[in-house]
Amino acid sequence: MSQLLSAPLQIGDFVSDCSLPDGSRLFELRGRPIILAFAPEAWNPAHTYQSELFAQLLRDFNEGATFIEACTDDWHNFDTASDLASQFGVAGKRALFLVDEHGILRWKIEVEPNEVISLGEVIAALEQLKAKPQNAGGISRRAFLSATLAAAAVLSLPLLEAKADPQLPKPEVAREQNAPPAPYDSSGTIPVTLRVNGKARKLQLEPRVALLDALREYLHLTGTKKGCDHGQCGACTVHIDGERQLSCLTLAVMSQGKNITTIEGLASGDNLHPVQSAFIKHDAFQCGYCTPGQIMSATALIKEGHAHTDAEIRESMSGNLCRCAAYPNIIAAIKEAQGEVRSA
Amino acid sequence: MHPFQYERARNAKNAVSTVAQNPTATFIAGGTSHVDLMKENVHRPDLVVDISGLPLQSIGGHDGGIRIGANVSNTQVAYHPDIVARYPGLSEAILAGASAQIRNMATTAGNPLQRTRCPYFRDTTQACNKREPGTGCAALTGINRVHAIFGASEACVATHPSDMAVALSALDAIVQTRGPRGNRSIPFTDFHRLPGNMPQLDTVLQQGELITSIDLPAFSGRSHYLKARDRASYAFALVSCAIALEMNGGTIRRARIALGGVAHKPWRTPEAEAMLVGKTPSEVLFRDVARAAFAHAKPLEHNAYKVPLGQNLMVRALMETSGLLPLQGTPGTAFASSAGSVAGIIPLSA
Repeated sequence: MSQLLSAPLQIGDFVSDCSLPDGSRLFELRGRPIILAFAPEAWNPAHTYQSELFAQLLRDFNEGATFIEACTDDWHNFDTASDLASQFGVAGKRALFLVDEHGILRWKIEVEPNEVISLGEVIAALEQLKAKPQNAGGISRRAFLSATLAAAAVLSLPLLEAKADPQLPKPEVAREQNAPPAPYDSSGTIPVTLRVNGKARKLQLEPRVALLDALREYLHLTGTKKGCDHGQCGACTVHIDGERQLSCLTLAVMSQGKNITTIEGLASGDNLHPVQSAFIKHDAFQCGYCTPGQIMSATALIKEGHAHTDAEIRESMSGNLCRCAAYPNIIAAIKEAQGEVRSA
Repeated sequence: MHPFQYERARNAKNAVSTVAQNPTATFIAGGTSHVDLMKENVHRPDLVVDISGLPLQSIGGHDGGIRIGANVSNTQVAYHPDIVARYPGLSEAILAGASAQIRNMATTAGNPLQRTRCPYFRDTTQACNKREPGTGCAALTGINRVHAIFGASEACVATHPSDMAVALSALDAIVQTRGPRGNRSIPFTDFHRLPGNMPQLDTVLQQGELITSIDLPAFSGRSHYLKARDRASYAFALVSCAIALEMNGGTIRRARIALGGVAHKPWRTPEAEAMLVGKTPSEVLFRDVARAAFAHAKPLEHNAYKVPLGQNLMVRALMETSGLLPLQGTPGTAFASSAGSVAGIIPLSA
């Protein structure tokens, strides 16, 4: 296995048959392009959401496309010693592979487990595949895409730094060039200007893009988390005109003209917001995934001024779920910060 | 999510005519229910008209009561001093629903328009006459624990999920609308429909008809909301009960009772309400009233528990409203409206 792992597939290599996590064989999918997506975590909403986006991209890329999805949390069926794992050499990585209808690896991308794959790059790769003339012959010209998602079994949840997500130091110019990624249907996008953490950011978005996705995927402000994506968990909480709201249920286009504050905009320089300091002091998190939402919600709670007792804080924070159940520490942190903010 | 065109409404007139002319167009304001259902592919509008910027944002006195603009957020209503003082049952109902974040986004007009939480409605692989007329009702023979015990049909057994709407029903609120053919005042009790054989229609609103305000009539009695749910907070009602009680000395002059979580609309109980008129509040009386209110309930396979739960909840709501039992928390707060503890802590007594 180690021998194979040392020589994983390169662009232009022929992909051998291997078994897929859903029990089917790669060979069965020959004759159509395939996307294989690998994720190192069993349960990662960001990954689940990304696979939805990939599926959507494939459908938009080719109308007749079918999207075959092996359950992304099927990781327990995934054998790291399998022919699939060794051929692609993906254990512990987040990776995407694009295989054409002849079985040739055409494109691949690997990122660290805690990073997301840029949709812009996927779109570009798909466009390139489309641009290359297909073999004559009706079927291959009308090739439709299938995507098969697999997930490697190495569970490596990113440890969240206490001070939210470190922002990659990217020059503003480069960021403007990167975002937005090439729209896959230019006629469907409209210009959207968002005022985020005091800065006006110009984007070109489809109206259906949620504020959460605009922040994460287009502005690369990944401190705001995607939990359930349906307004049930509070991980995506941001401040809109000073009020705590859910960015997953907000259309970005409707947030224009409003002041949006994310976790990245809470501290002033190196000085943490008192709620951030209190969360660290009281160890008010375990995995940290819900923490940005908890902190944004808690800072708003203090400003609202309706909740002071433990019971009132619990009730007022009931829109922020914590699967690690750090609730007692969260309450302790809020109570301490509440005193500091009020006396400040 | 189905792609759509987006338009920001310039004014109400424009918004109404745009949506009225396009059967696949819809209004959007807070978006909490709408965006969620669009993500689920349950709602698939081609055109979304954003009315959140329209000047329907004020709360103020009106005809002895209070007029609440369509775009006023649920939070603003719940904490408005006049609402807390004069209609605490409405504040209690709003604060018993959703989360602080959602209440900041959700609007006065949008809350009563939220769609059912029937899981089969939200699952596009299941039969649902409300989502796709003619496909059948998977809940009728499926897991129907959270479904209706009143007013359901063979076509649909869904319940209406709003807490706020139950209080508005008990308070006999009026829905003011602007439609393509002019303005209407719709009594809240007539606003939502029973499913019948057209469960796809939740309300009597026409395509393009826009709610401009919800008006609370003058009211000098006591109001209260009590809710039973699976979790202590942030869960939809299994059964809830809104009471509006007007006293004449020691006897009841008028009582209005609306039940939530039991029907396709807030379920008023006229026969039970009539039994209270002229009577002195007592537990015996309230038990008789609750029995009568649920006499015609038609439970499904998994929701017969709603009958005793609802009866007991109604008795307790009446006891608390009439002062025979203390409220579980300060009037106008979530603590007053929660049956049982709140968020895992036994609440403070009022």
